[in-house]
Amino acid sequence: MRTLIVEDEMLLALELESEVEASGHEVIGVASDFAEAIRLIGRQAPQFAFVDIQLRDGPTGIEVGRHLASVGIPYVFVSGNLKRIPEDFAGAIGAIEKPYTMNGLQNALSYIDALLDGARPSSAPSSLVLSHLPFVMEAQPRKTRAAR
Amino acid sequence: MLITDPRQDDNPIIFSNRAFTELTGYSQAELVGQNCRLLQGPDTDRAAVHKLREAVRGERDVAVDILNYRKDGSTFWNALFVSPVRDRDGAVIYFFASQLDFTNIKSKEAELATARFIAEAEVARRTAELSEALSVKTDLVHEVDHRVKNNLLTIASIIKLQMRRTADGTVERTLKSVLDRVEALSTVQRKLLNDERFGRFDVAEFAGDLAVDIVGSLGRPDIILTTDLHPVIVSASKASPLALIVNELLGDAVRRGLSDGGGEIHLEIRRLNSHLLIRVVDTVTPVDVDKEQNDFSRAMLDASLRQLNAKIHRQVEGYRTDVRVTLLVDN
Repeated sequence: MRTLIVEDEMLLALELESEVEASGHEVIGVASDFAEAIRLIGRQAPQFAFVDIQLRDGPTGIEVGRHLASVGIPYVFVSGNLKRIPEDFAGAIGAIEKPYTMNGLQNALSYIDALLDGARPSSAPSSLVLSHLPFVMEAQPRKTRAAR
Repeated sequence: MLITDPRQDDNPIIFSNRAFTELTGYSQAELVGQNCRLLQGPDTDRAAVHKLREAVRGERDVAVDILNYRKDGSTFWNALFVSPVRDRDGAVIYFFASQLDFTNIKSKEAELATARFIAEAEVARRTAELSEALSVKTDLVHEVDHRVKNNLLTIASIIKLQMRRTADGTVERTLKSVLDRVEALSTVQRKLLNDERFGRFDVAEFAGDLAVDIVGSLGRPDIILTTDLHPVIVSASKASPLALIVNELLGDAVRRGLSDGGGEIHLEIRRLNSHLLIRVVDTVTPVDVDKEQNDFSRAMLDASLRQLNAKIHRQVEGYRTDVRVTLLVDN
């Protein structure tokens, strides 16, 4: 799965990248502000994204999220302050709260993985806060699974 | 008081008493024959004059507060009352006027109004200042919280990045041991309350999360985790040592056999009167523990217990270990 990481702390992005790759996915890029994120979304056609809210140019992660939702790319927020997430979750599947643990992140990754595969995993791990609205995969079928 | 005669041209004063002379500075001789308008001056309210004139014309009683001028040009506030005096046939023959100097009252009113205005302005200014200070403080707290969380995650990331790069099992185990403690602190930082109960945290919620995380990370389906958790809200200043205590108790069970052969682990958090109880009960098949890791864990546990003035009671029966930690907490 082609994954985009939107995060302005490069060490956190680097470690998240390692974790995502270890779980068998491809990281197509790291964006640290709004413009970079929009550019990468347009050029690299990610299939999934992790989006931090506080970026280099301010709390622009929310707008990045809305853009992802508008083009039908599933994503989760990764943030230290979940209260910043709007009521409608800006179309996100859910959110991973910082500072997450290695196991918490891996659990969240496996759950998201299963969800995007079309499976209906029983219950979300505590490290992943789901949005109120159920994420319906049928509405946004994954075009390719070649990256797996 | 004074009396005027409306039947004469221009309604002149025909009598004034001594009090009126004392009030205005005009003698009776100076007043007789004059119209009352000689008491008016540039700052006399035209509306008050108009009200007075209309009442006289309509032959009605009137009470009006009016600014009048003395002979020497100084002013006084006059609570004026004018009343027509009629003969047997009802025709108005005189106007009777009484005066009351209420300058002092008037100035006190003005003083009060000014004082109230100043006080209200001051309250508004202070309120704005406090709102501003509160907003700055809230922003600051969020900024600091954000930094602490990011820094904890950065520390964990550095350790994990190095773990990924090492081929040495001992180095990896050591780094993992450090990471476990950092992650316990991360979990507690995530659980600190940022709402109106700011500066407090729920030990049960934190401990439950940590237990699920630690047991989950072992990836063994043969571990049965049970919990009996009741919210206990304590001061955030106790958060870090409490995080390490829970972490070391759970970690001890993991090292003694949970990670090797599975087993049962039970976590209990509750309030016992004014005490907090943290209880971890495990049933595992014992394995040899790494002495170094074990000693280190004991040192961490002891230091955290001392920090909180907590008591520990450990009971071992066969493969079952029951550890209770109690400490005094405020209500």
